[in-house]
Amino acid sequence: MMGPDELYQGVQTLASLIRENLSDAPVAIVGIRSRGDEVAERLCHELASEEDREVDFGVLDISLYRDDYGHLTSNPKLEGSDLSFDVEGAHIILVDDVLFTGRTIRAALDALADYGRPGKVELAVLIDRGHRELPIQPDYVGIKLETERKDHVLVKLENTDGEDSVEIVKAS
Amino acid sequence: MSVARKDLLDIESLSREDIDSILEQASPFKELFTRSVKKVPALKGKSVLMLFYEPSTRTLSSFEVAAKRLSADVTNFDVPHSSVVKGESIQDTIATLQAMRTDYIVVRHQMPGLPAMLSRMTQASVINAGDGAHAHPTQALLDAFTLKEVFPDQVNKRVLIVGDVLHSRVARSTSTLFKKLGVEVAFLGPGSLVPEYCAPEIPRFTSYEDAMKWKPDVVYLLRVQMERQKAQFFPSLREYHQLFGITSERLKQLSDAGVYIMHPGPVNRGVELCHEVMEYERSLINQQVENGIAARMAALYYLKPQTGTLT
Amino acid sequence: MSDLLFRNVRIASEEAAVTESQDVLIQEGVIQRIGQNLVAPEGVKVVEGAGRLLMPAMFDTHVHFREPGGEHKETIQSGSEAAINGGITGVVMMPNTTPAIDSGAVVKQVLAKAKEVSRIPVLTSGCITKGREGKELAAMSGMRDQGVVMITDDGDAVPESSTLLRAMQYAENFDCFFASHCEVEDLAGPRAMNEGAMSYKLGIQGSPAIAEEICLDRDIRIAHAAGAHVHIQHVSSALGMETIRWWKTMGAKVTAEVSPHHLLFCDEDIGDYDTHYKMNPPLRTKKDNELLLQGFKEGVFDILATDHAPHAEFEKQQDFVNAPNGITGLETALISMYHYFVKEEKLTWQDLVLRYSAEPRRMMRLAPVPISEGARVDLLLFNEEGETTFTKDYMKSLSSNTPFLDKTLTGSIDMVVLGDRVLLERNI
Repeated sequence: MMGPDELYQGVQTLASLIRENLSDAPVAIVGIRSRGDEVAERLCHELASEEDREVDFGVLDISLYRDDYGHLTSNPKLEGSDLSFDVEGAHIILVDDVLFTGRTIRAALDALADYGRPGKVELAVLIDRGHRELPIQPDYVGIKLETERKDHVLVKLENTDGEDSVEIVKAS
Repeated sequence: MSVARKDLLDIESLSREDIDSILEQASPFKELFTRSVKKVPALKGKSVLMLFYEPSTRTLSSFEVAAKRLSADVTNFDVPHSSVVKGESIQDTIATLQAMRTDYIVVRHQMPGLPAMLSRMTQASVINAGDGAHAHPTQALLDAFTLKEVFPDQVNKRVLIVGDVLHSRVARSTSTLFKKLGVEVAFLGPGSLVPEYCAPEIPRFTSYEDAMKWKPDVVYLLRVQMERQKAQFFPSLREYHQLFGITSERLKQLSDAGVYIMHPGPVNRGVELCHEVMEYERSLINQQVENGIAARMAALYYLKPQTGTLT
Repeated sequence: MSDLLFRNVRIASEEAAVTESQDVLIQEGVIQRIGQNLVAPEGVKVVEGAGRLLMPAMFDTHVHFREPGGEHKETIQSGSEAAINGGITGVVMMPNTTPAIDSGAVVKQVLAKAKEVSRIPVLTSGCITKGREGKELAAMSGMRDQGVVMITDDGDAVPESSTLLRAMQYAENFDCFFASHCEVEDLAGPRAMNEGAMSYKLGIQGSPAIAEEICLDRDIRIAHAAGAHVHIQHVSSALGMETIRWWKTMGAKVTAEVSPHHLLFCDEDIGDYDTHYKMNPPLRTKKDNELLLQGFKEGVFDILATDHAPHAEFEKQQDFVNAPNGITGLETALISMYHYFVKEEKLTWQDLVLRYSAEPRRMMRLAPVPISEGARVDLLLFNEEGETTFTKDYMKSLSSNTPFLDKTLTGSIDMVVLGDRVLLERNI
C-alpha cells in the first residue's frame, strides 16, 4: 500500500531521470489513457516548471489497438487521442502508470505509428511491476514493485479517482 | 457493466446508454479522419458482410469505408436487386451466411422487419441499413451526431422534418432518435405524405408558413421519391417545390433566422431545395455524409457479435 | 352406444340464464329426462357433473379446411377433429380451395370426402364466380342441388358491382344466401394490416377500414336492390358494424358475423411483426374491439364465426408482408370467449349459445339443438374451473397459427356428444 507521498516521490524520480538524459532538443510527453495521461501531465508540469523548456503534451487512446478485442464481453469505451504536435520525426516519451505484460505499450507503439514516424520513442512508467509477455523494457521507472503474476495492482490518481494511492491485491 | 448489444435493428430498442455511447464514440472516430493513416486495427480479423437487396451506392459505400477503416474484411454478397425477394429465400440465404462465419451482417431489404428476422437466425451482429419504410438506424445516429456537433446541448432544439414522412424510414428513425434525445420534432408535408394517423404525438403542419411560425432550428428535408408522383401522392414536382421546397426566397428567410438545413441525400436539386442551398453556410448536408462514416464505425465498434470466443 | 346420466350439471340455453344443477339422462342419442335426483337405469354410465355446464354444441359457419389443394395446412379430417376439440359439431367450409368449390361436381366430391372422414356434419359454401376470379358466374343451381345454401367468394370481394348484382338477381328463387368478404382492392394495398399509427410505426402500407366499410355498404345496397339476403362476414370495423345496424333498420335482409379475434385483439398486438396477428380483414384498434363487443351484445351480429384459417409454420415464418393472412380459431374460440368475456361478465352463456350454436344453425337451415327432453343429443360439457393449455399436442388442427399457442386459459371442454357417439372425453 502506498499513498500520495510515495507517488509524488515516484514522479520526482521519473522527472529527474528524464532530465538527466534530455538534450536541448524538443520533447513530447504522451500519456496513455487512462491514468497514463495523468502521470504524463504531472511529469510535464515538473519538466516545464524547473527549466525553461518547451514540452509538447499528448494523450493516446489505445482502445482500438488492443489485441484482446475478441475476448471482451463489451468493447472498451473510446475517448479518443489528442496529439496536437507533429509526430513525424518527434522525440516522444510514452508515459503509463503501470508497466505489466507490455501489451499496452505494444498497442501504443502501433497507434503512434499511425500518426506518423517519430524520430525516437522512449518509455517512462510510474510503476514497473514486472511479468512482461513481450520484449518491451522501460527507459525510466519511478517505482519498482515486486509482485506475483496474478496479483492486481490498483492505482488511483487524484484527477481520475479522487485520491493518490497504490494497492496490491494478492491473488487468493 | 451493461449487457453487450448484438444487433442494431431500429431506434426504439436502443437504450439511452446505447445511444449515448455510440454518439460519444463517433467523435474520436471522426478525429481519425484527419490522420495520415485513417485506419485502426480494432476489427482486425473480423468479417463484415454487405447484404443489400436494394441498390444503394451511398449507404453501401459508407458502411464499406467504415468497416475497412476498422480493418475488417468486407465482402459484398451478391443478391438480386430487381425482383422482389421474399422472406422464404432469405431463410435459405442464412445457411450460406452461417457457413461463411461472418461476424457482422449489414442488411438492406425492402421488407420491413426482415433484418430483425435475420438477427434471430444468426449469431452475427445484424445492422439494419434500411428495411422498407420501417427503420434506418445508422442514418438516425449520424443525424443526431451532426445535430450535436452544431448544438452540443440539443435538448428543446426544434427540428422540422419535411416531405414524404409516410414512406420514409429516415423520418421514422430520425424523429424517434431526436425525440429520445429531447429534441422537439414536427412534420411538414401534404396530407397524402404526412397523414394524420402517422404519429399522433408529433406536431404536423401542412403549410410551410404555419410550420415556420413554430420556429425550427433545423429544417430536415426528406428526399422525394419520383415514383410517388406517378402514384398520385402529389400532382407535380414543380408544385411540390413551390409548396414545400426550399426556394431561393425561403432560403433567405432561413438564413436570416439562422436555421440549419439537413438532408439524407441524394438531393433532388430544384425539388426539395434550390441550387443555392449547396453553398448555404448553414447547410449540414456534406457534414452528414462524413459523419455517416464515423457514426457507422462507432456502431460497428459498439456491437458485439456472438460469433467469436467469449470469456 | 353411449347412454349417459349427467349428474349435477347446470344447463345453458339460448333463451334463458344458466339453470341450477340438475341431472340429464340421455339414451340412444336422445335426451330422455331432465330433473332432480334421476336414477341411472341399467347400463347407463354416470358422469359426475360437479357443477359443470351442459350446453348445445357449437356450430361454425366460417372455416377454411384447405382440402383440396392445401392439405399441408389442414384437411377435412384434421379440421373436423379440431372442431370437435373446440366443442363444435358442425361447420361450413369456405370455397377458396384449389380448385375452388365452384360447381356441383366439386361440392359433391368435397361432401363425399367429408362423409368418409369426418365425425361431424361438414357443410360447404360455394363460389359466386368461377374459380373465385370475380368474372364469370359459378353454377349456383348445380351447387344448390348438392345442398349448398351459402354462396360466397370469401377471401376476396366480387370486384365488379354488376357481377354481384346479377348473381343475386339470378339466384332469386334458389333459397340460397350470399356471404360477403368486403374489401375494396385498390384501397387495401398489400392486405397486411390496419392502416394507422401502428402501420406507420412498422413501415407497412396499411389497409384502411374504409376499404372494408365501402364494400360492405355496397354489397348490402346491391342485395337490398336485388331482394337478396346477404351475410356480412368477419366484420372488423366499428363503423362497418354501424352501417349494418342502419341497414337492418331499413329492412334490408342482412345478417352479419364477428370473429373472436376481432373482439380480442388489435393492431398493437402485432408488436414486433408477429405474424400470428396477421389476418384479413386485419385487426383494427382497441376502440373497435370495445365497440364490436358492445354490438355483439346488442345483437347487431347475428352469429359468431371463427374464420378458422390454418397456415403452416414455415409460411407464417416469412416476413410480415409476405406471410399469409389467417388465424386458426376452432379450438380456441369457445374457451377464449369464456375466459375473456363470460368469466369477466361482459357476455353470458346465453349470448354464446344463441350466437355460436342456435343462430348459425338456423342460418344454415338447420334446427337448433337445445338441451331439452325429447331432443336429439348434440351437446358439450364445459368446466368453468378447468384450464386449457393450447399446445401443439393439444390442438388437432394441422396448423397452430394462433397467438394462443402454448398459452393457458381458464375453462375446458370436457365432453362432446353427438347422437349416440361420445366424440370427445377428458377430465371425466
